[in-house]
Amino acid sequence: MLECTIGQAATLKKILDAVKELVTDGNFDCSDAGLALQAMDNSHVALVALLLRASAFHPYRCDANLSLGINLVSLSKILKCASNDDQVSIKADSNVDSLSLTFESKSKSRPYPVITFPSNPLTNQLNPQDGARVSEYDLKLMDIDSDHLGIPDTPYEATVKMSSVEFQRICRDLRILNESIIIDVTKDGVKFSSTGDLGNGSIFIKNGQSSIDEAEEEEATTTITLASPVSLTFSLKYLCDFAKATPLSSTVTLSLSNDVPLLVEYAVPEVGHIRYYLAPKIGEDN
Amino acid sequence: MPLYSRTEAETVVTTVSAQLEKSIASPPQSSATAKRPHTLIITDSDSDNDQLVRNLKPDHSSAFTFSESLSDNTNVPPSKKQKDSHFESGVDDDFQTPMKAPILQPNLLECTSDTKIIPGLNLAGRKVHPMFANKTTGQKPSSDTVATSVVENSVDNLKTEKKAADSMKAGGAPDNNINDEESGNSIDSALKLIDSSDSVASWKKNDPVPYSALCKTFDEIEATTKRGISDKIFPHGFASLAKIVVTICPEYEGKELGIGDSILMKAVANATGRSISNIKSDCDKVGDLGTVAEVSKKKQMTFGVGKILTVDKVFATLKEISGISGSSSQAKKIERINSLLVNCKGSETKFLIRSLEGKLRIGLAEKTVLVAISHASIISNIECKAWSKEKLERELESGTAILKQVLEKKKLTFHPYSELPNYDIIIPALAEHGIKKLHEICKLTPGIPLKPMLAHPTKSLTEVLDRFENINFICEFKYDGERAQIHQLEDGTINIYSRNSENLSVKYPDIMQMLPDVIAPGVTSFVLDCEAVAWDIKKKCILPFQVLSTRKRKDVAVEDIQVAVCVYVFDILYLNGKSLITETLRSRKESLKKSFFEQEGKFTFAKALEASSVDEIQTFLDESVAGNCEGLMVKTMDDGSTYEPSIRSKNWLKVKKDYLTGIGDTLDLVVIGGYFGKGKRTGWYGGFLLACYDDDSETYQSICKVATGLTEENLKQFYELFEPYKIDVPPSYYQFSDVPNIRPDVWFKPVQVWEVKAADLSISPVHHAGKGLCDPSKGISLRFPRFIRVREDKGPEQATNAEQVATMYRAQNLNSASGNVLEDDF
Repeated sequence: MLECTIGQAATLKKILDAVKELVTDGNFDCSDAGLALQAMDNSHVALVALLLRASAFHPYRCDANLSLGINLVSLSKILKCASNDDQVSIKADSNVDSLSLTFESKSKSRPYPVITFPSNPLTNQLNPQDGARVSEYDLKLMDIDSDHLGIPDTPYEATVKMSSVEFQRICRDLRILNESIIIDVTKDGVKFSSTGDLGNGSIFIKNGQSSIDEAEEEEATTTITLASPVSLTFSLKYLCDFAKATPLSSTVTLSLSNDVPLLVEYAVPEVGHIRYYLAPKIGEDN
Repeated sequence: MPLYSRTEAETVVTTVSAQLEKSIASPPQSSATAKRPHTLIITDSDSDNDQLVRNLKPDHSSAFTFSESLSDNTNVPPSKKQKDSHFESGVDDDFQTPMKAPILQPNLLECTSDTKIIPGLNLAGRKVHPMFANKTTGQKPSSDTVATSVVENSVDNLKTEKKAADSMKAGGAPDNNINDEESGNSIDSALKLIDSSDSVASWKKNDPVPYSALCKTFDEIEATTKRGISDKIFPHGFASLAKIVVTICPEYEGKELGIGDSILMKAVANATGRSISNIKSDCDKVGDLGTVAEVSKKKQMTFGVGKILTVDKVFATLKEISGISGSSSQAKKIERINSLLVNCKGSETKFLIRSLEGKLRIGLAEKTVLVAISHASIISNIECKAWSKEKLERELESGTAILKQVLEKKKLTFHPYSELPNYDIIIPALAEHGIKKLHEICKLTPGIPLKPMLAHPTKSLTEVLDRFENINFICEFKYDGERAQIHQLEDGTINIYSRNSENLSVKYPDIMQMLPDVIAPGVTSFVLDCEAVAWDIKKKCILPFQVLSTRKRKDVAVEDIQVAVCVYVFDILYLNGKSLITETLRSRKESLKKSFFEQEGKFTFAKALEASSVDEIQTFLDESVAGNCEGLMVKTMDDGSTYEPSIRSKNWLKVKKDYLTGIGDTLDLVVIGGYFGKGKRTGWYGGFLLACYDDDSETYQSICKVATGLTEENLKQFYELFEPYKIDVPPSYYQFSDVPNIRPDVWFKPVQVWEVKAADLSISPVHHAGKGLCDPSKGISLRFPRFIRVREDKGPEQATNAEQVATMYRAQNLNSASGNVLEDDF
């Protein structure tokens, strides 16, 4: 039995937007620690690990571990029916093959004029504290056959913490040139470059400096932790998909080691994190 | 039309393969190390996430493996291979990542996919395989290297064995030049084969056949380019292979994958994270999407949790794809293709894509597959595992006998396939009953079209008389229409099939409607061989083929038919539950006349005459030409007059009206290139490069340039027609001389067949048609070729083949100068 409520539908919407491009469906594993999703994209090149901690929900109740096979595209569509400020309650049970979602608008930001009919028993039953609009949806669950990988926390040779907006822009800009991007990390900074038929381009971000003009200091400062220099090539398509998580966090952390998947982490304050893993490309001439 | 349960057939086939390969037992685990240099495995350490994951799914978490495609070390030079061996012995000096101890995952596949036959490894010159190089450098090979070598050995032996077997078969035909030495080896190599198969393994008995094993075989076959040799390699008992090699379904079921290039490119882009435009440009450079896909896949590492593809799984998915239709069918197809591509390793990718394209291009013709299937079933019958050493030695003596049997069996297999062209039926039958009984079990069945018997072209009536001296023969009008095979099943269903076994029932509803009126009472089932000819109802005469070709091919409604057809029946192959093909033509003709009524302008027996003198035949020929026919068919009436499906028999001769000048027959050639026109033809193609098809090597061999016979309208039409089929680089399966005089300005994909007439054939220094057949190093070309018409009814692979070109060349020399004949025999 899972019962949990999150204050803002917007959080869930953003999370799904960040994931659904990459994976269409996956198993949400519910435990007393929170909700976790791990899924590989259909080409087995990228992997998403999402964690929503129990503390992100008020209340959060999960008596027994549950695995919910959810079509993320469908879930995202249903969430679109909620206003950003709606409170979302999620319910699931091991013997029910659907996920129940309840969106409740907050009384303060009631979008419609309130018409009360004192004689209406329905209105009367509602707690005056609740919002005026309560919508309920049931999403059918699926049986998803997926391999679960144990992801270890590995020491990486290089870690780059930078502005997520900046990272998104770099990916978008370099995609004009070609399908892959080379990331070189040195102690001075990190260089992103790409070469294609029309020419080449590179962006260098210096260590310890803010790359955004109206920087709010710490947030936008690039910090590099380096054991040894790293140079790796990745497919930009996936990085651009990862960058869809930008609205969730102002910073992004890239962790790299040679010949090992890149870890792109967006930490969502007070909620959890989205981690993306991307397998590098090898044997590229450039 | 009977429907065959696929699942049933599948099961049996799988059993066959397992059974056939039972000689191969395996040490699968020994191979695990091969992959290691490319396997980076991150082992666990504690993190909150990891902890969480474990809480959630204690049983399912597996190691986080991360590997590149399995066979990527195939191109590694020998020196690197040796380095790999270091890894195998546990020295991890190159392995510099902060990872903790890597975990090895035993993988059944690795043994096979790491084994790569280097191109050029063939019978003639055995080059040293990198794997063998290990031994010579004094390094102790690890256990899996040994296993691989054994695989190698057995494959090699198989090659020898198959070649020997085939040369024995060829021994009956005087035209083939055989090296005696080779056939002498056969006993020896057969024994070796039995010997080595004990220790060789790529998968366990009763396990489904892994797709990689199939692809490995494809690789080997592809690497063997020498003409005639590719024809002989075959893996131990790959019965199920046939299913994928040939077609998804019997042709007559009309199922096709329906996958275009664009869908495939999208799927490849999807599976490798590349952009479609880049894949397209690579494809233009390389000319083969399969190769592009393989390379792309190799360059992008993946999370190594792929499942092992089995042949059955691949086949089932292909079948599923062919059944997808309706809305968003493209997306669904891509999704299915992707599900396979994700799990592809090494050359599997290449061959999967090529299978999807419908062309494997490994130089393996269908008849080779037939030979191989029969061979495989023989080899599998040998219970070699149970034999003692003495017994093996005794087998040495009977080895020759076994091989002889193989050849006899080969003929048997060939025959049923012509009669019953459906692997789904033949192969399970083969497995269940053995090859000896196959003939009794697989028989002609109404509802399953067979390949029609074909006639040999002749140049003159005297040639006919020479051939049929002292033999009773019959002359028939050769109607100029579309060959049609009419089947009636016991349940009354009627189907009409083309010469390519396509179902034409929808094209000829008028014939379907008329048929019941001409069937005599008591006739319950039959198969007729006939020609559908356009008929002028008012003038009551035959119309030329061009009129027939204006008929719609699909959704024809009887009311709307503009062009009437008359069916001219000339043979009956099956009547009331009994196959007639082994009976004489005379008795077949009698059965035909007893079982059907003529109806003028609708259903008629082909006009025939039992003639004996040249004069009689000449008058009959003139009559046929006057009656708008193409000429005459001359067939033996009694001796050797059985119906031989799919065979171009010398018991059937065709005399065309236009044979009497120039060469015997027109040729049907494939357009492979174009030359920009000059003068009046500026802006179009002024000439075209034509090729014949060589089904042994699956290549198109250039034969001539053609520029005459093309009207201005033709030129304009062809310019537009070929526009979408232009390619930048000639595909590897085009054989031509790359000299300025020949190289066309533009290459085309093989899409269209033209009927071309020529004055005669000559040995050519620049063209490649039938190369090696008449002259050891030169091909054959046409003199004064002239375009006649487009053969819409023929696909590029039904074009005149190299063997036919060679036969025409020889026939021409027989007639003109007998001096050349001797030379030809060499």
